[in-house]
Amino acid sequence: MSRVRDRRLRAAIAFLALAGAAVAAYLVYSRYTGVRLACTTGGCETVQHSKYAKAAGVPVAVLGLVAYLAVFATALSARVEAAAAGAAIVLGGLAFGIYLIVVQVAVIEAICQWCLASDVILAVLAVLTAERLRRLAGSPQAASGQAPMAT
Amino acid sequence: MKRFVHDRYLLFIGVGGAALAIAVALILVSVLGSSSAESTASPPTTPAPAPDVPASGVPAQPAKVPGAAATAALFKGIPQRLNQLGDPKSKVTMIEFADLQCPYCRDFAAGGLPAVGKEYVRTGKVKLIFSGMEFIGPDSNKALRAVYAAGLQGKLWNYLDLLYKSQGAENSGWVTDGLLRQVGDSIPGLDTDKMMADRSSPDVEAALAASSQQATSARVNQTPTFFAGPTGGRLQHIPITSLGPEAFRPTLDSLTG
Repeated sequence: MSRVRDRRLRAAIAFLALAGAAVAAYLVYSRYTGVRLACTTGGCETVQHSKYAKAAGVPVAVLGLVAYLAVFATALSARVEAAAAGAAIVLGGLAFGIYLIVVQVAVIEAICQWCLASDVILAVLAVLTAERLRRLAGSPQAASGQAPMAT
Repeated sequence: MKRFVHDRYLLFIGVGGAALAIAVALILVSVLGSSSAESTASPPTTPAPAPDVPASGVPAQPAKVPGAAATAALFKGIPQRLNQLGDPKSKVTMIEFADLQCPYCRDFAAGGLPAVGKEYVRTGKVKLIFSGMEFIGPDSNKALRAVYAAGLQGKLWNYLDLLYKSQGAENSGWVTDGLLRQVGDSIPGLDTDKMMADRSSPDVEAALAASSQQATSARVNQTPTFFAGPTGGRLQHIPITSLGPEAFRPTLDSLTG
């Protein structure tokens, strides 16, 4: 794959990962300081205070923040292993995000706009990380490690 | 080349498997975590009497209070925030001052509220505000704290409606921790343990103080009392002769029309 293209993909992934981290950080900040969330859907507080807002005692927003920072870190490396790790985290996170959308609609009956924003970011990241992996893995040189230098 | 293709498929399978494992692990933890929260919040099936159960004894309580499904359907899809029900941008606001022990307040919940909710709140014309009062006695305060604590999770109106459905005689000690938990466990998505813990939280204390202040400044001396008017504007007392929807339609129609 072209080195320039890989850089662009990695830059886009890094940017989106930071955007996702910002959303997650806002939810974490609100949770631990009690500051009310800006919310046009009216359901953000409901979702954030529901029993589904935690997994194994850890706020889902904290898990999201860690995951986004991990994805950001993978975008800093040109190695195919990093691309693979980034894609696995994003795809796993997206599947969990879809489950949480179902929970919001069917169980909690409230929609958190910040969660939806995070899901949209995850969906775009899923496309980008999968495409990055596909391109890197499509190159024989890259399949075993470093991305190719030639353009 | 063959080796490369093989490695490539292994890579994709590995990434897919890792993603699947992450998703399954997170979903399992979420599902198991939420159901264990429910089970710890549920009353025991063969209960030892709770500390505040009347000495006369209370039969074993079922997991849910009566009417839970109807209450869930009544409020399903309507936005709630603290003590507010309906679209925050509604042009008209209606406030209800009520005491959880007041039988007439319960009658409004059973009679007028479903139609008012369907015709005016669900359609985005009116938002309802609950302002709790606690002048009847100690059970009023205990119930109101639980209602406001549920409001912190966006389930105040569900909790209010279900508690009215289990209303007992005034100051008979009917508002037990067991009943409050049972009502909480009957509301999908409500964290009952958190609700019970939040009853003495600063947020609930602030809500109690705010509603008391509101009732004093509006000179409310009986329940239920209703006010309505343009959102952000001056609200007028609604004179009512019954607690059915017909008592509210003239005022709400003129405000929303």
